[in-house]
Amino acid sequence: MAESYSEGRTGDGEYQEQFLNDKTLRRLGAAIAGLFTLGVGGFIAAIIFTQVDFELFVEIIHPQFVNAFLRVLAIILVGSLLSVTAGIFVGLGRVSNTGFTNAVATAYVEFFRGTPLLFQLLVIYVGIPAFWPPGQFPISNWQYPTAIIGLTLNHAAYVGEAVRGGIDAVPEGQMEAARSLGMSYVQGMREVVLPQAWRNALAAIGNDQVILVKDTSLLTVIAVPELISAFRNVNSTTFDPWTPIILVAIAYLMITVPLGKIVSYLEARSDWGGDRR
Amino acid sequence: MSLLEFDEVDKYFGETHVLKDVDLDVEEGEVCVIIGPSGSGKSTLLRCANRLEEIQDGEIRLEGQSISAEDADINRLRQRIGMVFQSFNLFPHKTARENVTLAPTKVKGLKKGDAERRADELLDRVGLRAQSNSYPNQLSGGQQQRVAIARALAMDPHVMLFDEVTSALDPELVGEVLDVMHDLAEEGMTMLVVTHEMGFAREVGDRIVLMADGKVVEDSPPEVFFENPKTDRGKQFLSKLL
Repeated sequence: MAESYSEGRTGDGEYQEQFLNDKTLRRLGAAIAGLFTLGVGGFIAAIIFTQVDFELFVEIIHPQFVNAFLRVLAIILVGSLLSVTAGIFVGLGRVSNTGFTNAVATAYVEFFRGTPLLFQLLVIYVGIPAFWPPGQFPISNWQYPTAIIGLTLNHAAYVGEAVRGGIDAVPEGQMEAARSLGMSYVQGMREVVLPQAWRNALAAIGNDQVILVKDTSLLTVIAVPELISAFRNVNSTTFDPWTPIILVAIAYLMITVPLGKIVSYLEARSDWGGDRR
Repeated sequence: MSLLEFDEVDKYFGETHVLKDVDLDVEEGEVCVIIGPSGSGKSTLLRCANRLEEIQDGEIRLEGQSISAEDADINRLRQRIGMVFQSFNLFPHKTARENVTLAPTKVKGLKKGDAERRADELLDRVGLRAQSNSYPNQLSGGQQQRVAIARALAMDPHVMLFDEVTSALDPELVGEVLDVMHDLAEEGMTMLVVTHEMGFAREVGDRIVLMADGKVVEDSPPEVFFENPKTDRGKQFLSKLL
């Protein structure tokens, strides 16, 4: 009989006693996780007790960091809203059967995904005012419009790809059923395909929006007083690195962790009839 | 004038000639059953009837109006043609009732309350009144297909197209769907049915149309077709069934 089947299992229980079986793997995993937790926890504890200056911590929270945080939050809210909205249209362009529309959407995605956000921000920040004679550019505080425009254009490309993937994953029969009932392409997209594509794309869109939050750190280069700038101000005057670093970390996590929760909530809400397939 | 007319229809998928000069007239109130081996073009013919597929030559008319013409108002014409698919294609993000009310409210502009009352009537008719708030994935295949029939009926179509609607069902669920179709036929609905269910074809069909290699090869009443087919192709097809 097939001897290869019984190899390593002959002589009752011999196979079970090999080093890396299910049980030892589980224990090994827990051990590594435990060591990791101890290491990181110890490191953070060491920083907090030896490096952080609590007086300075309280002093710089307000107004420095609170202002930077609120500014960043406002930019994120507007950027998120615009990039997701624009991204839906980019995604629709990517699935268009019209060659021209499709080509434009594809070129858009290639460009904005293919060049760094920092480069795009610089193009907008210093490139656009160059069309006016020196000193004549009419918009003051151009860094804020730049931030919104840059984040929106860049992330619309990523959201667009997520939406395209989401639409592609909706079975063709869905649009056919909608059309067979007399609905137009637009109605079929809006009522039938996009709600399902949205669910399919949610995880990827959420992922991208978390990256958008972190991308606001690049705005320090175009003189937006955001969290990294706040860190550099404090650090250059007090020479204390860890106190502002901890604040920066807390500030970002205060945005990204709830964002993840919102995405999970939205996913659960579109689990129609439960028992997601 | 027949209700639905296929006039010398030719259809190609790339190089493949899938419908060859098909002529077929479906009369009002008639149940026309299309049978034939797989790949014979029967589903394609059905899908051309509401222009889910474009034809390359010939014309298809509904109540005298061209469906296949370049400038046909296809969204309006499709309201008169109900279609039920092999894979149900219910909208998974909507309840059974919402599946039925969606098109009447969005396309015909029916008020929500009126559409819901009508939906409940139709769901009652297919025996699913109690499931009106269920989502498709909470229903069995047979129940889903009956909702799909109710959804198509909600647009008050003049003709119903059934594309192998029991082929994806577990054998014990086939009967409940065929029963609904049987009732529909008795109420006088014009139906064009592609099926492999020979018992249903024989019992409910007014006409049996046998397709092979993209052509209509026999068109006979069921008693003739199943007892004594007129063509060799018909005889050959029947012999393979047994």
